[in-house]
Amino acid sequence: MSASREGSGRKLGAIVVALALIAVAGIVAADAIRLGAVRTFGPGIGPRAFPWAIAIGLALLGLANLVVALRGKAVEAAPVEMGPALWVIGGLVGQIVLLSFAGFSIATGVLFGMTARGFGRGPLWLTIPIGAALSFVLYVIFTKALALTLPAGPLEKLV
Amino acid sequence: MDAFVSLAGGLAVALQPTNLLFCLIGVTLGTAVGVLPGIGPALTVALLLPVTFKLDPAGSLIMFAGIYYGGMYGGSTSSILLNTPGESSSIVTALEGNLMARAGRGGPALATAAIGSFVAGAIATLGLALLAPYVVSVALAFWPADYFSLMILAFATVSAAFGDSALRGLTSLFLGLALGLVGIDLMSGQARLDFGVPDLLDGVEVTTAAVALFAIGETLFVVSRKGAADETIEPIKGSLWMTREDWKRSWKPWLRGTAFGFPIGAMPAGGAEIPTFLSYATERRLTKHPEEFGKGAIEGVAGPEAANNASAAGTLVPLLTLGLPTSATAAIMLAGFQQYGLNPGPLLFAAKPNLVWGLIASLFVANALLLILNLPLIGLWVRLLSIPRPWLYGGILVFATLGTLGANPSLFELGSLLALGLLGFGLRVFGYPIAPVVIGLILGPMAEVQLRRALAISQNDWTVLITSPISAVLLTIAALAVILPIVLKTREKGIVFGEDD
Amino acid sequence: MPVPLRRLLAAAAILATAAAGGPALAANLKIIAPASPGGGWDQTARSMQQAMQSEKIAGSVQVENVPGAGGTIGLAQFANRAKGDPHQLIVGGYVMVGAIIMNDAPVTLDAVTPLARLTGEYEAIVVATDSPIKTIGEVIDKLKANPGSVSWGGGSAGGTDHIAAGLIAKAVGVDPTKVNYIPFSGGGESLAAVLGGQTTVGVSSYGEFDAQVKSGKLRVLAITAPERVPGIDAPTMKESGVDVEVQNWRMVAGPPGLTPEGKAEILKTIDDMAKTKTWRDTLKTKGWTDTYLAGDAFTAQLKEDIAKAHTILRDIGLAE
Repeated sequence: MSASREGSGRKLGAIVVALALIAVAGIVAADAIRLGAVRTFGPGIGPRAFPWAIAIGLALLGLANLVVALRGKAVEAAPVEMGPALWVIGGLVGQIVLLSFAGFSIATGVLFGMTARGFGRGPLWLTIPIGAALSFVLYVIFTKALALTLPAGPLEKLV
Repeated sequence: MDAFVSLAGGLAVALQPTNLLFCLIGVTLGTAVGVLPGIGPALTVALLLPVTFKLDPAGSLIMFAGIYYGGMYGGSTSSILLNTPGESSSIVTALEGNLMARAGRGGPALATAAIGSFVAGAIATLGLALLAPYVVSVALAFWPADYFSLMILAFATVSAAFGDSALRGLTSLFLGLALGLVGIDLMSGQARLDFGVPDLLDGVEVTTAAVALFAIGETLFVVSRKGAADETIEPIKGSLWMTREDWKRSWKPWLRGTAFGFPIGAMPAGGAEIPTFLSYATERRLTKHPEEFGKGAIEGVAGPEAANNASAAGTLVPLLTLGLPTSATAAIMLAGFQQYGLNPGPLLFAAKPNLVWGLIASLFVANALLLILNLPLIGLWVRLLSIPRPWLYGGILVFATLGTLGANPSLFELGSLLALGLLGFGLRVFGYPIAPVVIGLILGPMAEVQLRRALAISQNDWTVLITSPISAVLLTIAALAVILPIVLKTREKGIVFGEDD
Repeated sequence: MPVPLRRLLAAAAILATAAAGGPALAANLKIIAPASPGGGWDQTARSMQQAMQSEKIAGSVQVENVPGAGGTIGLAQFANRAKGDPHQLIVGGYVMVGAIIMNDAPVTLDAVTPLARLTGEYEAIVVATDSPIKTIGEVIDKLKANPGSVSWGGGSAGGTDHIAAGLIAKAVGVDPTKVNYIPFSGGGESLAAVLGGQTTVGVSSYGEFDAQVKSGKLRVLAITAPERVPGIDAPTMKESGVDVEVQNWRMVAGPPGLTPEGKAEILKTIDDMAKTKTWRDTLKTKGWTDTYLAGDAFTAQLKEDIAKAHTILRDIGLAE
């Protein structure tokens, strides 16, 4: 996991992470302020107390992370190749997009194929149908044997 | 000795060939459905409930017990092998268990989980048979203030045990706490951090988050490494079975895990997660091999798995003695009883002793059957890992999304899976630990609700946290858990080593 | 993954024989359960499924779970997708009414066609047997003296239990926002709190308490029924001088835009289903009280219940 020492890009990454934490703290705090307008019933602390505590904690941690990052003492970010990761992310997005009209099997086949592609295996015209066939079997088991519902498409309508 | 006679009578019922067969079908079905990620024992039981409709009450409840334990067992199998915990109580198992599997020690990990579950289940079932009335009175003595302090103890021990950087661990924990705020606040009915999206009103589903952060985040991390596709995991390095050393390192965690799981599981708001956290933290503290934690330490699988199983038997204590369903599974068990017009509780013990003792005995039998069935299969399970990475990870993603969709067929849930998966990826890239996020997500809302309940009952009197003896003791232990290691560390630092890493 | 598959297929074979199958005499139906598998609405939907299939009232009946936000997510999806289709149904209940109001849900029950109330339960106010409180009158006196000193343990905030507590306070002239209502997420947890004397009283559907009442661990102080209920040894709220009546019901509704013929057809299906032996047996074994009310009578009752819930939730401070 240890990477090369150099690279201001890595340091920049740590700074961005710290700033993101502070931003999250801001969102939580803003929501707590919004809750201020809400009436509550009965005694005890209301729905705002914990969000405030968490927002303050996150903000402090964000600042601490920022200090560490600015001093260049943050843990090196692991070197990543985004190309293959994008294939997998694309597969997950593709599944979500296809699910409602192409049905579970085809959409999940695409996920399977694109994940394999991310790991350097293909071709997609072969892996997607393999994934779809596997998913189709799972679909039949889930919907027929367990009476659960999964999104159906043209393939699923066949059974 | 009455209980022993009754238990023996129960065993006679459970060991009747037909009932044994029902139990066998139950554990097989339960394991098969339980291995699907995102589908925990409660959902497994709910899905398979119709199968039991046609049987007589005894046979049906026995199959039930089998399905339940089978579901739990299946859940830990997928946690260890695929890093996809199907329920919140096997999240801790995934931590060390999956690391062991990747290091070629999946065999011992699965074995210690199975045997630990058996040991814990057997002891806890015995406890259920013999001690139920006493345990339940202790459990009912826990008030909201005491629960809050128990959760503080869990926070204190667990956060002290995670990661090598306190700053990074705490940062992850607070991210989890923030995620835990999303949705309708139970105590006030107000929506928080929902951004006007109705799908967010129910909050972030713990199992979705765990599967996303662990399995999806990791898949993305692995695929983005150079030469990822060509590496293979060697499924068996060293012995497939537990070695002498493994046994030596496992038996104490099994017993300690049981000691955490059974009583906390019996508490109406105890749950199965806290005992697994406490067990993990304890084992990490007591181990003679601290260097292995974070790389796959067998104690970290043995203890939490035992705790998980013992707490399951624990939830049957309030169910059978008082008729209180305190977990999702217990609620479904209650439905199982009710389909025969039976209401669990003290009356059931008196009115249908054969049935109750038959059920308790069949828990024993189910446990034993699981062990017999699954130990020989470990070799097969482990070989799953020898599947080349493209297909293995493709399969993991298929199963992860399937489990999520099966539990809640909504595109939004899949979207959350992706978003949290990206979060997990990011955390990994920048070196933040994942587990504290999930722990914050689980414990945060529980702690908040209990504190607010305590303050509502006491009408805003904060001293309940110290005036309740249970709470005072728990808070003291929590304080010690945080302070002692620091003191010890500074002493070690000063006297022995002269410097810390 | 050969192993789980093989086992799953074995499971499938066993399950297939267990599943009820019959010739398709009537239409195929789909019932939406706007909750996770296992809960009350899911059980209602699956019981309907069983009754309709085994008594051959419908061909195949499919249950689909769309959980989330007190049923409002399932409701919104149903109203959009099922429009005008007389072969789709949704199950729901009084809790959904509260959830719609509190979450300010964009899709309300106005967007569907209410068909029938199927089951219902009255709320019971209980204490542990060893509690010093013996009558509902004592609770009310305590409530009037110091509203915060009476803690009520029940289900989720804004749910039927909370509505009942608010209505009681209001009826005796106590500010409903002062009600010290303590929500619990599951039946078991709130029961434990009542049994352990953590909350002053417990308030929930009577069925939640039945086993404990019968075993002598809980005492029922009052029920929110219009008249005494056989088998429950407790006065009504009205008898005790508190004019409160609440029923926690479950219902079935159809999609919007049904033709009169379509509505009549589906109402008849439900009517037939409610009369079957399978359904009556289910009610008995599950301990559900039959409060069947169909058609226009139910629509009117529903309107009244919604208005009542809205008013009290506003009084409690949970709704605009």
